[in-house]
Amino acid sequence: MKGKSIKPIISARNLVHEYYRRDEEGNVTAIENAVDDVSLDVEPGQFISILGHNGSGKSTLAKHINALLLPTEGSIYVDGKDTSAPENELPVREEAGMVFQNPDNQIIASVVEEDVGFGPENIGIPTDQIWARVERALKGVGMWEYRKKSPNRLSGGQKQRVAIAGVMAMEPKCIILDEPTAMLDPDGRAEVIATARELNKKKGVTIILITHYMEEVVFSDKVFVMDHGKIVMQGSPRDIFSQADSLRSYHLCLPQVTELACQLKAAGLKVPDGVLTREELMSVLTEGGLLSKEIEDKPEQTFDKKEKKPLSDAVLLLDHVSVTYQDGGSSTRALEDVSLQINRGDFLGIIGHTGSGKSTLIQTLNGLIAPSEGHIYFNGQDIGDDGFDKRGLRSQVGMVFQYPEHQLFEATVIEDVKFGPRNQGLSDRECELMAYEALQRVHFPEDSYEASPFELSGGQKRRAAIAGVLAMRPSVIILDEPTAGLDPAGRDEILGLIKEMHDKSGETVILVSHSMEDVADYVDRIIVVDKGRIASDGTPREVFSNVRQLESMGLAVPSVTYLLHDLRAAGYPVDCHGTTVSEAKEEILRCSRI
Amino acid sequence: MLKDITLGQYYSADSVIHRLDPRVKLVATLVFIISIFVASDPIGFAIITIALAAVIIKSRVPFSFMVRGLRSIIVLLLICGLFNLFLTPGDALVKWGKVVITVQGVRAAILMLVRMVYLIIGTSVMTLTTTPNQLTDGLETGLRFLNYIHVPVHEIAMMMSIALRFIPILSDETDKIMKAQTARGAEFDGKGIVKKAKAMVPLLVPLFVSAFRRANDLALAMEARCYHGGEGRTSMKPLHYMRRDAIAYILMLVTAALVICWRVMGRR
Repeated sequence: MKGKSIKPIISARNLVHEYYRRDEEGNVTAIENAVDDVSLDVEPGQFISILGHNGSGKSTLAKHINALLLPTEGSIYVDGKDTSAPENELPVREEAGMVFQNPDNQIIASVVEEDVGFGPENIGIPTDQIWARVERALKGVGMWEYRKKSPNRLSGGQKQRVAIAGVMAMEPKCIILDEPTAMLDPDGRAEVIATARELNKKKGVTIILITHYMEEVVFSDKVFVMDHGKIVMQGSPRDIFSQADSLRSYHLCLPQVTELACQLKAAGLKVPDGVLTREELMSVLTEGGLLSKEIEDKPEQTFDKKEKKPLSDAVLLLDHVSVTYQDGGSSTRALEDVSLQINRGDFLGIIGHTGSGKSTLIQTLNGLIAPSEGHIYFNGQDIGDDGFDKRGLRSQVGMVFQYPEHQLFEATVIEDVKFGPRNQGLSDRECELMAYEALQRVHFPEDSYEASPFELSGGQKRRAAIAGVLAMRPSVIILDEPTAGLDPAGRDEILGLIKEMHDKSGETVILVSHSMEDVADYVDRIIVVDKGRIASDGTPREVFSNVRQLESMGLAVPSVTYLLHDLRAAGYPVDCHGTTVSEAKEEILRCSRI
Repeated sequence: MLKDITLGQYYSADSVIHRLDPRVKLVATLVFIISIFVASDPIGFAIITIALAAVIIKSRVPFSFMVRGLRSIIVLLLICGLFNLFLTPGDALVKWGKVVITVQGVRAAILMLVRMVYLIIGTSVMTLTTTPNQLTDGLETGLRFLNYIHVPVHEIAMMMSIALRFIPILSDETDKIMKAQTARGAEFDGKGIVKKAKAMVPLLVPLFVSAFRRANDLALAMEARCYHGGEGRTSMKPLHYMRRDAIAYILMLVTAALVICWRVMGRR
């Protein structure tokens, strides 16, 4: 086969895409190269990943592959067709299908099967063949039994699978997935990635996956890293993840296991570069004879019930709270007899999968949802009492909802942040003061205070929205999935900010998340909610020690905790309660032969 | 919870009426409306009642669902009835001082009430047995001839079906934004029109922004799936007339003809 290479399915040559920034009058103020001199080849049947922080140009590149955008300079060929020729527009889109980030905004029909049939209808396939294609596509993604359902009844992961089926029904050679998992919970993410891998393996469809979840790319054949519109790194996942420092300079991070391997190597253990999976690190550690079984085991840790904090420490107290939703004739129990004490200064994590009742739980805390049974006390007062100042409670218990930037509405950032204080009936000067203070606390750049909130970048919008809640000077802050949809750098920034709130100002912080790693790294206490009940309550070490119990609730522990459990099962005397990379590193080094 | 579209209040059941082509049902509704305004005496309405009752029984939708639509207009019905009753001039039937009820008034009131009630029940039969999607399909196919006078029938139907898809999503979103702004101290149950209008700004602005963002995303997703207007499009669920549809047309025409004949003969 020497010399004769396979004809690439996608081939870009010196691709440039200029993006014009305009002011209000439509005059061009700046020209940016969203894609800058990109050349790449993709062979048929490959699984390709493109990594990059938000704004690195990866989505713009993706939109060139199915002719949604056309190159300013250079060219891109899909299966030998030049995308810039007008007559190629539809054939190119037929061959390179695209799945987008938001599951709701790409489903057109109100019935699953009709949505999948939408593509074939557009390209003029005869009716009986449409049905055959719809059947094949839905079976391919495992959604056949849902064909008569309304998309609104499906979970996020299922909706994305329907979207993939909608593309598959056009029988493309290539599917581009543009951050398909950014808005999903861990279950949904796994579902979508598994589907993409299966289509790649079984049907030989070329997959181009754009993501900023590092764990999702370890299986790909080739990884491209983009920054400022350029491809700055390319190679196998192993090559890419061996270069931790360059990755960090592009605002990306390593998968947790790779990070651990990297730190072990730095500590002197003979671990190769670019270890990708837990199984791999496990075999390196055990088969290489790096660890010893002879080391003395730590005394068995017992988590005896810590004496409960006195009730006087409680800022919020839930006493046998139940919530029932009435939905037509039927009723659903969202919370079932929950009793809980949240103490002043707690840094509390609440985890639970979608639909576990955790959203209901937090909304009872500031009176947005009234309990059907039981009582909630804020600083000793029953918030259900007649005459209790609910509005005052809401400024005391601040709530940052998921995607808080979607509630921005004023003309300038500062005005929007003042909305909360203004509702408290304060004077304009006071509102202004509180708004400034809040914006400073979230490190919002001063020159953008007067900017329109709709012109900001994603991360800055979120900061502005969080400031809008902080401005009311709450003593308890609840954040629902504050990192959803952000890239790794953005996630770290927001979480750092939250930690700062807790550590510096001593506010009680409640962090709701389904990212176990985030929770384990930051909080001191975790509550697991399952089926409307509190399934466990304790320090991260205590809670994550029940791996099996968490798995049965559809939750996963941090991957390093899994590794420690595996090592212990193999007979190494590691303490398997570690939940962070540094804890795991210490335990493994303790058992190493050096 | 608006998760299942209740718009158009579809009642799921397996019946001949459900299976009828939506075009038949649209035409039937039109013919039905004409009939109730043509009929003006008990015999005419008896014919319509028999036809309507037959359809309702065949549709297997509980009768209570049909009357549900009446609840919302009951006040309107009463007011119209009373006006007709008291303000129609003619031969006095009852007389209390200045208040006069005439024979013609009673007739007009009864006729009006019966027509309104039948109108609501008749259209309910259609919306209860036809999904909004079928209705859109029916309109698109049935009104295709309007293309000749440059009415963008396909585009209108596409907009209707997208609207149907997004109504529950946007209503969920409204709920979320309301909660988020309430958490920042906003009050949506203020008194007075000015206060109410002001309170809507923090709700409506984000809602519009979100709707535009969704529209943008959706347009892109549709384009990516080769959507390029109605030209050259095939249909996954094309509408075909069946035997039952032909029978339905015949029955419908016979009934309407009977009503009209009776009216014309009655005049003589």
